[in-house]
Parts: sequence; C-alpha cells; structure tokens
Amino acid sequence: MHPVLRAILYRAAQALLVALLVGVLTFLMMQSLPGDMAFRIAAGRYGYDAVNAQAAEAVRLELGLDRPALEAFGAWFLDLMRLDFGTSVISGAPVMDEIRHQLGASLQLALAALALSLLIGPPLGILAGLRAGGWLDRALLVVSTALRSVPQFLMGLILIVLVSIQLGWLPAAGYGRAEHFILPALTLALGLAAVSARIARDAMAAVAASPHYAFGRWKGLSEWQLLRRHGLRNIGVAMVTYLGLQFAMLVEGVVVIESIFGWPGIGHALVHAIFGRDVPMVQGTALLLGLGFVALNAMIDLTARWIDPRNPDSRRQG
Amino acid sequence: MSDLLKATAVSVRAGLSQLVEPVSLTLAAGRPVTILGETGSGKSLLAQAIIGTLPAGLRAGGQVDVEGCSLDLAHPRALRDLWGRVIAVLPQEPWLSLDPLMRARAQVAEGHALVRGLNRAEAGQAADRDLAGLGLAEASASRPDQLSGGMAQRLALAAARAGGARIVVADEPTKGLDIARRDDVIALLMREVVQGGALLTITHDLTLARRMGGELIVMLKGRVIERGPADQVLSQPRHDYTRRLVAADPASWPRRVPRQPVGKPVLRAEGLSVRRGGRRLFRDLGLDLHPGQIIGIEGPSGCGKSTLGDVLLGLCRPEQGKVIRGEGIAARRFQKLYQDPPSAFPRHLPLGRALEDLVRLHGLDRGRIGGLMARLRLDPVLLGRRPDAVSGGELQRLALLRLLLLDPVFLFADEPTSRLDLITQAEVTELLVETARETGMALLIVSHDPDLLAGAADRVIRLGDHEGSPTGADLVRDPAAQTGYRPADKPGFGTRVAAEVSGA
Amino acid sequence: MSVIPTDIPLQASARPWSRLAGAALLALVLGFALLAPLVFPADPLRQSLRHILAAPDAASPLGYDHLGRSLTARLAAALRLSLAIAAAAVASAALLGVAAGVLAAWRGGWVDRAVSLIADAFLALPGLLLVLIVSAIVPVTPMAFWIGLTLVLWIEYFRLTRATVSRLMAAPAIEASRLLGFGPLYVFRRHLWPELAPVLLTLGAFGAATAIMMIAALGFVSVGMRPPTPELGLMMVELLPYYREAPMALLVPVLATFLTLLGLNLVAGGRRT
Repeated sequence: MHPVLRAILYRAAQALLVALLVGVLTFLMMQSLPGDMAFRIAAGRYGYDAVNAQAAEAVRLELGLDRPALEAFGAWFLDLMRLDFGTSVISGAPVMDEIRHQLGASLQLALAALALSLLIGPPLGILAGLRAGGWLDRALLVVSTALRSVPQFLMGLILIVLVSIQLGWLPAAGYGRAEHFILPALTLALGLAAVSARIARDAMAAVAASPHYAFGRWKGLSEWQLLRRHGLRNIGVAMVTYLGLQFAMLVEGVVVIESIFGWPGIGHALVHAIFGRDVPMVQGTALLLGLGFVALNAMIDLTARWIDPRNPDSRRQG
Repeated sequence: MSDLLKATAVSVRAGLSQLVEPVSLTLAAGRPVTILGETGSGKSLLAQAIIGTLPAGLRAGGQVDVEGCSLDLAHPRALRDLWGRVIAVLPQEPWLSLDPLMRARAQVAEGHALVRGLNRAEAGQAADRDLAGLGLAEASASRPDQLSGGMAQRLALAAARAGGARIVVADEPTKGLDIARRDDVIALLMREVVQGGALLTITHDLTLARRMGGELIVMLKGRVIERGPADQVLSQPRHDYTRRLVAADPASWPRRVPRQPVGKPVLRAEGLSVRRGGRRLFRDLGLDLHPGQIIGIEGPSGCGKSTLGDVLLGLCRPEQGKVIRGEGIAARRFQKLYQDPPSAFPRHLPLGRALEDLVRLHGLDRGRIGGLMARLRLDPVLLGRRPDAVSGGELQRLALLRLLLLDPVFLFADEPTSRLDLITQAEVTELLVETARETGMALLIVSHDPDLLAGAADRVIRLGDHEGSPTGADLVRDPAAQTGYRPADKPGFGTRVAAEVSGA
Repeated sequence: MSVIPTDIPLQASARPWSRLAGAALLALVLGFALLAPLVFPADPLRQSLRHILAAPDAASPLGYDHLGRSLTARLAAALRLSLAIAAAAVASAALLGVAAGVLAAWRGGWVDRAVSLIADAFLALPGLLLVLIVSAIVPVTPMAFWIGLTLVLWIEYFRLTRATVSRLMAAPAIEASRLLGFGPLYVFRRHLWPELAPVLLTLGAFGAATAIMMIAALGFVSVGMRPPTPELGLMMVELLPYYREAPMALLVPVLATFLTLLGLNLVAGGRRT
C-alpha cells in the first residue's frame, strides 16, 4: 500500500475511534445525570420551555431509550456521527452555532499565543543547542525548568496581579480590543515557549553533533552557512511534529486562560458546559477538539514527509 | 614530486598523559601515505591533530607547514581555514556524513559556491562536471538514502574536494564495506593520487594498506613502531607486532584440510526459499550439517547470509522448504554467536551473573566454567564486569563460553569477528574451529571475507549478488565459477563447491 | 577508530545535583504535608472570626485565611490531597501503560496496531478535557480525578514502553536469551526492566507534575474540588480577593505549588523526550 494512503487510512481510523470515545464518554455523562434521560435529551433539542411528556416520549421511541443500553448507545452514536448535537441546554441555541462563534475567539487567542511563543522559544533553543553545555544552554535549562513549574493559571494570576492590578497598564479581563490580547496571549506563550525551546535545543544539539554537520565544517563552510544549509531544515521534522503535540497544550491552556481572563472562547464555554452539565455542548466541543487534533496531525504527517521524504514508516506521531 | 604538507613532531596529550608520541610525516603529490593500526593505536588521533579536529579535552603539539605558512598545532583554530580549500576530509561511513535531506548536486555545488566563491550557475556546472567525472551524473538529483554505499563514498569525495582541496585525508574509508566495495574505494583513492593529489589514509585494513602502496606507518599504543615503503614493510616486517599482524590476515592463513562429513546430520535443510522485504534471497537450497563439520556462508551484504542462519535456527520462517533437526536433541543445543558481542548480553548485568543465571536455569555443572575460562584464555576477573567494560574479543569468547555450557550440537556464527581487530579475529576464529573439532559441534560460519572462510571452513556456500540478479533464481553458485579463483580442485584442499546445493 | 569528532555532546542527563535538589525539595514538601498535622494540630475547616486574615502565630506559622481557618492545616491537607491523587494516578497509569506497551511491542502485528490506535485516540483528546468529562460522570471528585488522570497519563507510559521494548526486542540480547532457554519472565526482569525503570521514574515525576497542575487549575476555575475542601487552586482563588490586605496568605499556596512542581521537574531530569 502506498505510504501516504496508509497514513491517511490510519488517521481516518483514529478519527473514528476518537468519535467513538467521545460518544462513550458523553453517553456515560448523560446516564450519570439524575433524572429522566429522554426528558433531558428532549430539553437539549427543543429547549426546557418547549419540552413536555410527549416530546420526551417521542425521543424515547426514536432513540430506543427503553431498549437495552447497547442499542440506546448505538442510536446515540448515530446522532453524533451525523453531527446532530442538538441545542445547548443552557443557552438554547444550536450547539453548532455556539461553537462556531466561540471557535473564532479561541483561534484568535491561540494563534496570537503560538506566534509569540515561536518568536521566543525556537530561536533561543537553536542558539543553546548549537553550543550544548554552554552558558546559554545552562541558563535556558534553569529558566525553562522554572517556567514549567509555574502552571499556566498561576502565570495568568501573577501577570494579572503585577501588570493590571499593581501597575494598571493593561486590562485584567475583556475581549474586543488589541490590549485585551496581550496578557492572555503572553501567559499562554510563555508556557509554550519554555517547551518549544527545549525541543529546538535537543533537536539542534543532535544535528550539531551528527556526522553530516561535522562534514559540512570540513567542507569549509562557516558556522552560519552550516546552520542555514544543514541545520534548520534538519530540525524541521522535530519542530513540526512538536507543533502537533503543542495543540493539546494549547487547548488545555486555552480552557484555563479563557476562564481566568473572561475570554468568550471555546474553553470558557466548555468549563461552563461542564459546570452546568450541558451534555450537547460538551459533546460538540470534545468532538471538535478531538477531530481537530487528528486533522492537524494528518497535515503534520504530510508536512514532515515533505521536509524529510525518507523512510515514511518510521515516523508516526500522535 | 612536490610536498604539499609537512607535519613535524605531531603529538597528542590528554592532560598529563601522552596519547600519541611525536611523529613527523610529509604528504607529497602522487605518493600516498597510510597509517595502519588497531583500535586504540592512536592512528585517528594523529590524523585529527594534523587537520585540527581533535575532540575537546585533547591537546595537540607540533607544527604543520602548508601553502608556505607554518601553523602551530596547539592552536587548531587557524587550521580551520584550510578545510575544504586545502585539506579535504573524507569521513568514515560517508553515507552517514552526507546531509540526509539534500540532493547530491547541491552537496557538491555548495563547496564550489561558498568555499571557492563561484557564482550559482558556475558552481552548478562545476558540480555537474565533478559528478560526471565520478560516474554520478545520473544521481545528481538523488538524496543520500537513494544511493548505494559506493556511490555515497564517491559523492562524499566530490563534496569534500569541491572547495579546491588537493590533500585528501581518509579516515577508515573501508569500514563497513564488503570486499567488492572495498576495491571500488581503493580505486577511487588511487585516482586522486594519480591526478596529483596527496593522500593520507588511516586504516586497520591490511589489504587496503597493501594496495595503496606508498609510505606505510604502523602504529601501536600511540607510537610509530615501523615505517617505510608499504610493500617492504608488509613483506619483510621487522617489528614483532607487524609480523603478528601480517600473519593474522586471513589471506595468509594456512589452508585447512577439510574433513569428510561423518555421522548422522544434526540439522538438515530441504528446498529452502526465503523472501525478505518482498525480495527473494535464495531458492531451493538444501544443506546437511554433520557433527564437527564447518560450513562457511559467503556473499555480499544483503544477500541473505544471516537470514539463512536464522532460518536454520528457526528464528525466522522460510517461504518454502523445511528444516529438520536431529531426533532427540534438546532445543537449547542449537545456538547462535552474534556479530556485535556487547549486544548479545543483558546490558546491565555483570557477566558472571548472566552465566550463573544460565547454570541455575538448566541445573548445569558450575565447575565447568573455570575449565572453559582457561581453555578460552579468559581472565576470571572479567566475570565481575559488565559487558561494556570488556573488550570485544574477550566478550565474544565469553559468549562462546556461555554457549559451550549447553553442549551445542549446532552453532550459527553470524560474522562473529567482523567487529574485531585482525589479531583478535584470528584468535577467535581459531578457537571456534578448535571447539568444533573437539566437541563435534557443527559450525555454520557467515562472513563477507572469502579468505577467512577459505581458511576456516570445510566447505563454502556462496550466496549471490543482490543487485545483479533481480529474480534471485540463481543465487547459489559455485564459488570458483563465480570469482574465477580456484584455490584447489583436488578434494581435501581448500574451498569446495556445495555439491548438493541445487542452483538455477 | 571512531569518526573524527569535533564536538562531544555533553550529556544532558548527567546532572545529579539537580536530581538531588529535586528530591530534597520533594522530601521537604512531603515532610510538611505529613508532619504539620502532628506539630500544629488544627482542623482545616474550622472557621474563627478572631483570626480572619490574621498574621502567623505559634499555632499556625503560615497565618490564617479570610474565614480565620489555619493556613498551616489547610496547606498540609491540600498537599496531601494533591500528592495522594497524583501518586495514585501515576501508579495506575504506569501499570496500565507498561502492561499495554510490553504487550504491543512483544506481540506485534494486529495487537500492536489495535493498542496503538486506542492510545492515539486518547491522545487526540486534550488531557484537561478528558479529566473534565470524567469529573462530570463520576460523582466523587477525588475518584474522578484519579480515573481521569489515569486515562490521560497512561498514554505516555504506553508510548515510551512500546518504543523501548521494540528497540530491545530488535537487538540480539533477547533473542540470545530465548535461545539459551530463558522464559518471558527472565527477559522482562533482566532485559526490559533495567532499561525501563529510569524512564519510568522520569515519566512518573512528569506525570505527577501534570496531575498536580490539573487539579489546581480546575480548582482555580471552579470545576475541580468543591469548597470548603482545602485544595491548592481553590485556596488561591479564595484568597485572591484579599491579596492587598494579606499578600502573604495568597503567597502560601502559590509558593507551595511552585516548589512541589519544581521538585518534580528537577527529579525528572529537566528534559522531556
């Protein structure tokens, strides 16, 4: 089988399994709630005001909730596969609409944070990796270890207390203007940069110690020519692959940071949905995030293969 | 003849200890210089000191005169300006030293552009000329992983010299190559010499040293023990070590009198066909192994030598055919000796513990260890060490000891000496042969060195070439017909044809 | 001899002092969490009007919170809770991950593909999300954290174990042992375990750090432990409004969290591969 085709098939299987996992988890969540399940699903679809015993009965029949759990789950999963999440229990709006709105806000924040972290982390990591064991390498290790020991919510808390409350320079919360971006994006970026600097450092140190790097030197190239021609592309796969894993970190950060800074994004909404046991919202959000991860990693597979076309089977990430 | 580089009193120290005693040498156009020595002889350090690439922590002394300047080796920074422009370094295992992601043409062109200062178009044309000159024109757009080992070696030479260097320093250029490829490398290096370049080769390979000719420098424990014209040093060695080295070369081993098979076979293979990675390695191969018999398997890398042994041991399955073991023989009496001795032991376990585990598992007689240690000339101190603290030769003998405790009837030795130095190789091979004779163990020994097998085996089976034979149909051949080399047609002398092996 | 090396890469892992410092820090945190109740006995839930945001005294060297509760007792209880959940989650995740990893690498074929696919499906869901959903299913919060964190942490154990074991299985040492007659248990004990153990220690420290961060983060955004349970994140969010009056009180859980995580990161060896 062609390796690209096989990679795509694998990602498709992964996506299917992610959907199944989300289905099982949200089904369990639904079952664990007190009260009548059909009533709550009906409420989810039509809003609490419109719901009555008849509507609940219709749902019960349609989904076969009176049937054994396995069959009930089958119907539940079918709805999920049709991306039919229903409406939010809390706001009454269709889940898809809600998510569409929130996703935009979250993406803005995530991309700003990612860009900022890429400006800080990899350049420092590359410099440190070129002279593994040097003073910059050691300093960077201390700083990144310390930074990793500060959870993102704590970093947000520290920045709010210092920059907004003490100094009064920036707003502590809010959305819409440019200055609202700075603190949450910086909070996220510091955590991401601490890790991406380590990844870049390790990849660069490995390349700098490789025989082909030494050979480049013996060919008469200067250090800068060496880095440009034989270094940057060669750490590319490690960096791109890492971006895929950074997605998970970014999502987790977004969930917490949005709640702290009052950012109207998907993470904020998720916390509310969990708090209010809004199963349709949780289901929609979880599926979106899971499939987003799979899609992103499928793209990363292709990018990594484009950077390094050798032996495609040896590389499989996420 | 013009001197291109003159090195005077080159030495290497680590702190207070002298690793290489002062050596002087001159590289002249058209006359190769070869440094011959085993692991730890200091030959690589000497070369590294001359070109300024010593690892951190080591300090060079002496001076180098090149291009009219005198450079102090204690300050190696200045030497860096020579790299690419004056001195080309050909790294060992060049397939690892080329940029894995860059196409062949670009790897050569960058030397012309960035070191010699040609513009892009000129550099590209120069690279095309270099590649064409080495027969690599077709490979211009290939990545290193798409090249064969020999092509990678030629590409590395072109890339190393693109900056204009005429002095080539080659570090173990034949390491990891089989016989056919070794000849290509020798031809490649000789070409440089004929074209008026200077060449310094570092090697442990006696054949390479002999074929290069020129001046030969033999090193032992950081000291030059003998030097002179290569043919003279190798034909009339004066130093005891050089004599032992020459004697250990399989090419000069005495030919062995092959034994006629006796007794019932301990292992019989019938109609074996083996496929690996979609390629058929060999077909319809039959083989009998009798007690005490030594069979050699020969062939280039990738031809399925090791796979054949693994199939006989039941470690991998043949596509067709079957392997029959002698009746009533315990499974543990079929054993294997590995190519890389350290990787055959648990990494974290003292060797004595590993043996003790085995003794306990099978309820063996512990007392035999001492006798075997003496027989294999092993020091009991080694039992307290871990595998990484023991030399390769000792470890290979310990591996043999571990097997002998189980009284093997069949041993598959997979290139058992290819990672060992020449003298150690001769010792270990001798021990294997003696063991087979003494204990009646059948020995299947795989090697890429026909001389070694000719000296050790009763019979040699040659497996065929991978690139030359797309179908793999005629992979089992008569070694004599294959090479035109016929050491003996008389029975009872040297290599004999695998009579019952049916070819195409 | 070897390649002509220009650079000998310094071993990134050879920093015993940092591991020792990390272990010392952890011992300090653990010692405080376990001994504080004996030395300064107080009910972490007991409120007292007299002590609202009071300065440290002999009964509580860390002072009192906005409800007059002993911060010493509350911090010790919060640390015990976080460390216990983290330890339990790491232990069960390690057990699950190592077992699955050895199984996948040893059996290979479809078993390997199936287990890898399941792990990849879990990997696709952000850890925090997984913990959040499980917390909505399982009514007892510490139990929910334990299950959720196990589901998050086992993946890394699985992936590393599988990679390590596959690498070892491909090397001759295990084949040699099998030929000599040794069984799977011996192979695990002598070949696999000595290589896995150091990796597991590093992963365990990182896993515990992840667990402690998540528990605190979810507490901080009010979807984790419920008040009045003493928990690091909850304590921070409760004390935040009073930080002008009592900045030291807010600093107590902040510093404790930082030092615990720093200790774990140092023990892990400062690198994540």
